[in-house]
Amino acid sequence: MIPLSHYLIVSGILFSIGLAGLLLRRNLLLVLLSVEIMLNAANLNFIAGSAAHSDTGGQVIAFFVMVVAAAEVTIGLAIAVLLFRKQSSVDTRDISFLKG
Amino acid sequence: MDRTRDRSLYLMNLSLMLPELTALTVLGVLTLGEMYVKDFSQKFSARAACLGSLAVFAAVLFSWGRQGTAFGGMFGVNVFSLFFKGFFALAVIPVLQMSKEFFAPRLRFPGEFFLTLWITLIGLFVLSSARDFLLLFIALEIVTFSFYIMAAYLKRDLFSIEAGLKYLILGSLASAFMIYGISLFYVASGTTSFEGIRTAYESGQAASLITFGLILTLCASAFKAAAVPFQLWAPDVYEGAPTPVTAFLSTASKSAAFLVLIQILFGVFPAFETGRTALFSVLAALTLIYGNLAALHQTNIKRLFAYSSISHAGYLLIGLAAGGRAGLESILYYLAAYSLSTLTAFMVITTAGQLLGSDKVDAYRGLARRSPFLGAAFFIALASLTGLPPLAGFFGKFLILSAAVQQGLIFPAFLGCCAVAVSLYYYFGLIKKIYADEPSAADPLAVPAPTLVLLGISSALIIAAGFFPAPLLSLASSAAEVLF
Repeated sequence: MIPLSHYLIVSGILFSIGLAGLLLRRNLLLVLLSVEIMLNAANLNFIAGSAAHSDTGGQVIAFFVMVVAAAEVTIGLAIAVLLFRKQSSVDTRDISFLKG
Repeated sequence: MDRTRDRSLYLMNLSLMLPELTALTVLGVLTLGEMYVKDFSQKFSARAACLGSLAVFAAVLFSWGRQGTAFGGMFGVNVFSLFFKGFFALAVIPVLQMSKEFFAPRLRFPGEFFLTLWITLIGLFVLSSARDFLLLFIALEIVTFSFYIMAAYLKRDLFSIEAGLKYLILGSLASAFMIYGISLFYVASGTTSFEGIRTAYESGQAASLITFGLILTLCASAFKAAAVPFQLWAPDVYEGAPTPVTAFLSTASKSAAFLVLIQILFGVFPAFETGRTALFSVLAALTLIYGNLAALHQTNIKRLFAYSSISHAGYLLIGLAAGGRAGLESILYYLAAYSLSTLTAFMVITTAGQLLGSDKVDAYRGLARRSPFLGAAFFIALASLTGLPPLAGFFGKFLILSAAVQQGLIFPAFLGCCAVAVSLYYYFGLIKKIYADEPSAADPLAVPAPTLVLLGISSALIIAAGFFPAPLLSLASSAAEVLF
């Protein structure tokens, strides 16, 4: 059996990839994708924990997290569409009208 | 999940959810009205939602003193959660009036906005009662998602879109931190319930994993509270979002963040005491300094209030660092006083924004001469936010700083006192503009009657809570007692 720590390492790597993508990518769709990767890193932890503790709760939580992720992307895409209608671009560099 | 929890899943204790069920019913009524009643959106929706929030408040009063858990211990009701529910139910009333004033001329169906607002309220209610990290996460996401939508609600306005987008990107970063932290709790302890994680942490099992998870969840909550160094989103979102949404964001969303912080720090990890004091003293100092200095040279009033709300978060963080019953009590009192003053100020900002057509600070010159009532209400709200005695905000600051001194946190308390002096400059700069400067136009402003009534009530409450702090203070102390 694969030990729990290996799952934790993989999920840590996934989370870092997502975080790097969110901070570095300039395309809004890829930013949303990076958020998905971060949430899925958490899902991997939940499933690994569920197997390690032989408790089904973790798998249920993973489903809830997927629903939350789907809702998040829905709102994100809706706002991306609004932005695209206004200025035909979803590049995050093109949005900086608010400055102090 | 252990076996006792499985069995109690069937004991749903629906009677404990009376306020939530009332709120759900109101949501149903509002939705049906929107669909089937002619002109509901423009004519009745605001009034119906306002009556609804009074009904929800009545349900909270009716449940006062009840205690217990439902849904296998996931959902808990006690005086602490009811305090927050009552607070949210009342805070939504001025926001409803502001939204009506703001959206009715701009949208064909302003009632649809109230539905989103109402879903936020239900999320806040569930959040107050969450006793399990899964429920806490989902309730928090319900609240944040509706805020993303509300921030971008003016869909033809680039500023509003940008506010929604920035909040969405940085907010989803915070929720990813939150859920990753929770997943580490789960890996370490095999449960997501507050109690289970508390026992696991106190027994020292997998301590490093739990501590790492704790840091991640604290970062996520500090983001929602707009504490430095997680404050980057606040000025842009506050400026770009529609004014009523900014008002709700700076009161309800901030209170929700502190609710979560209190639950995590005192409900789940009371054993993290030394770390908590050190960590939050530093955060509080940074937040106070940054918020107050950045507020000094703002030309947009909503942006000014964004920085002012960051600096108020600094005071609340001092309360968290102090901890103990006195610290918690002072946080609850401060949240109530701060929210009351901020909502009063934002009612003035919304009305003035409508009538003057601008959110620039310069547009407020001579406001008191054009509408003495707006000027007076703004004066009271700003003086309370500064912390002038004998207003509500003064007692909030006094309680927080004295709790900090009691715990030996002299330096944060000293910084808090200095911050009052700095904040005098920008709050009284505004008051000077309103009272002493020449107005650009002389015609009097026609303030809508419901706003006048609400402004009168809230200004009176600010003064009353300053002269007679005892009732609110005893409420706060009975709520804080539950956690010890």
